[in-house]
Amino acid sequence: MTIEADQAEGLVSLERGELDRTIFSDPEIFERELTTIFARSWLFLCHESQIKKKGDFFEAAMGRDNVLVVRQRDGSIKGLLNTCAHRGNAVCRAEEGNAKNFMCTYHGWTYDLSGELVGVPGLEELYHNQMPAAGLKQVAQLDTYRGFVFATMDAHAPPLAEFLGRTGRVSLDFIAAQGDMEVVPGIQKFIVPCNWKFAVDNLFDWYHPQITHLSAFQTGLLPATPDATGATMKTAGVLSPDGDDMQFPGGVVSGDAGDQLVFVDVYGHAISGPTVEAIGDFGGMIDHSWRNRPEAIEQLGSMALRSFGHANIFPTCWITPPFNQLSLRIPRGPMETEIWWFTFVHKDASPEQRAAAVSGAIHAFGPAGFLEQEDGENWAQSTLQTRGASSKLIPQVLSMNLGRGRVVNDQDGIDPPYIECSINEHAQLWTFVAWQEWLRDSSWSELRDRTVPPEVL
Amino acid sequence: MTIDQSLDQAIDAGLLADAVRQFEVERFYTTEAALLDQRRFPEWVALFSDDVHYFMPIRRTRLLRQIDQEFTRPGEMAFFDETKELLQGRVAKVMCGTAWAEDPPSRTRHIITNVQVVAEHADGLDVHTNFLLYRTRLKSEETTWIGSRRDSLRRHEGSFLISKREVLLEQTVLLSQNLSNFF
Repeated sequence: MTIEADQAEGLVSLERGELDRTIFSDPEIFERELTTIFARSWLFLCHESQIKKKGDFFEAAMGRDNVLVVRQRDGSIKGLLNTCAHRGNAVCRAEEGNAKNFMCTYHGWTYDLSGELVGVPGLEELYHNQMPAAGLKQVAQLDTYRGFVFATMDAHAPPLAEFLGRTGRVSLDFIAAQGDMEVVPGIQKFIVPCNWKFAVDNLFDWYHPQITHLSAFQTGLLPATPDATGATMKTAGVLSPDGDDMQFPGGVVSGDAGDQLVFVDVYGHAISGPTVEAIGDFGGMIDHSWRNRPEAIEQLGSMALRSFGHANIFPTCWITPPFNQLSLRIPRGPMETEIWWFTFVHKDASPEQRAAAVSGAIHAFGPAGFLEQEDGENWAQSTLQTRGASSKLIPQVLSMNLGRGRVVNDQDGIDPPYIECSINEHAQLWTFVAWQEWLRDSSWSELRDRTVPPEVL
Repeated sequence: MTIDQSLDQAIDAGLLADAVRQFEVERFYTTEAALLDQRRFPEWVALFSDDVHYFMPIRRTRLLRQIDQEFTRPGEMAFFDETKELLQGRVAKVMCGTAWAEDPPSRTRHIITNVQVVAEHADGLDVHTNFLLYRTRLKSEETTWIGSRRDSLRRHEGSFLISKREVLLEQTVLLSQNLSNFF
C-alpha cells in the first residue's frame, strides 16, 4: 500500500489535538518522508567555521543522502553528494578533514573540490578520451545565513531567506546575534532507536523536564526551571514507584500568566519555551547580556528578544539557547535516529568563558548529559509501543491548553507569529500539522498557504 | 637444596619487582570493576584523587594523513570531561532513585584486560588497559563498548588513586542511546 496524498489527511487532527500513532513506525510513511520532506526542505549542513580553509570538508546528512560540504578554492562552498558517478561508492570515507581532491577507491575516478570529474583510469584506452560522466551530483541549492550553511535537493524550493521566514531567522539569530560565533571542534553523534519525530516533539516539551530529568534537579547538578511566582506544579495524584507523593522542583506553571512564549510559522517552524524573565539566569549558568547589544535588539525584535525558547527549523534543526547549541535529529530508519550536537562559542571568548560553555554543553545535553541521558529511552519506548496491533490504535494526545493559544500574527512587523501562554503543546501540534502538509507533497506555494498559522491553536 | 638455590638465582630481581607491580595494578583494576558491576558507586568514585581529570573525547573517522586529529582534546567537545566533583555528582544522580535511565538498572560487566604499565614515576604509574563494557537493559537492549583506558595511578595507602583517566572508545558515531554507565 502506498500512502497517497489524501491518505496523509487523517493522521493529524488540529481540532482534537490528536495524532495517529502509526506515523512513528510505519515504514511507508518513513519512505514518503524522505522524498516529500527531506529531499525538498532546506536542511542545515554545517557552520562556515568548520570549513575555513580551501579543501576543508564536512560530511553532512540530508535524510539518507550523504553530502560533502566543501570549501572551494575561491572561498565559496559547494555541497556534493558523496556517491561516485560510476558505481556509486562513497568518494570520501572521512567525516571531516581537508582534501585536495576526492578519488574513488573503487576504480580511481577522481573529482576536484568542485565535484568535476578530472581523472579516469584508462580514459584514452577504454573511454576513447570521452569523460564518462560530468562529476559528482550537487545539491540543488546551497546558501548560508550568517555562517549557517543550508542546502536543499529541490531546485524549486524558495530561497533560504524566504524558507526560514521570521521564525527560522530569529532561531539562528539566538546564536548569530551574539557576535562572531564558531563551532567548538567535536560534533557529538549518537544513535537512538526511535522515530525522528519523537525527538523533535521533545525539544518543545517543557512539561517533561521535572519528571524525566528529576534526578538532575534533585541532586543539584542543574537548577530546575523556576516559576516566576515561586510556585511549583501541583502533583495532582502523581506517585512514585514506592507510592510516595512526588515533589516537583519548580516548573513554569502560572496558569495563563504568559510565562511561556510560542512562535509558530509557515513551513512548520516553531519556537517554544519560557520567557527570559521566567527562566532568569538559571542558577548563574546563563548570560543574557548579549541581548542588550543593539544588533541583537534590531535582529530579534521585541518578542523574540524575550524568548528563551527551543527553536526548530522544520524539519529537524533544533537551536537551544542555554549553551548555544544546535542539534539535528537525522532520520536513518523508521525506528532509528542519529542525534548530532554542534556547540558554538564566541570567537573571542576568553579561555574561562570557552571552558564554561564547553562544560555546560557536555553536562546538559549529549549522550552523557545530565539531562539527555534520560531522554533516549522515553523516545525509544514510545516508538516501540506504536507497533502493537492494539496500542497503535490509541491516539497520541497533544491537547494541553488546546484552543487557548491566541496567535498574534503581525504581518507587517518583525515579530514572528506568537502566543503568550503557560506550558502547552502548541509548538508540537503545529509541527505535526505542518508535517502532514509536507507529506501531501503539494506545491511550494500551496504548502506555504496551508501552513499559515491559524488564529487560535 | 641445590635445585632451590639455582631457581633463586634464575629469578631476576627486576622481573620479580615487575611481577609484583603488575599484580598490584591488576588487583586494583579487578576490584574497581567489581565495584562498578555491583553498583557500589560511592566506593568506586573514592578510587579517584581529588584532582582527577576523567575524559572521554569524541573520536572522528579521519584520513590516515590526518589521523593525528582523530580524537578531540581537552578544551574541545567530549562525551565526558569530569572533575572529581562532577563524578561524585554523577554517582549521586544514579543513586537518587529518580534516574530513570538506570531504573530498572542496567546489567553491566566490565572486562579489564591487557594491563600494561607504560611508565613509572616517583609517585605512581601510567597504565594502559583494554576494556569491554557489556550492558543489557530492559527486555532486549544490548550495548557493547570496547576501548582503552589511559590512566595515571598515584600510590596511596598501599594501593592506588586514579589521578587521570582517558577513555578511548572504538566508535565514532556512538552506537548507544546514552552513556549512563561508568568506564
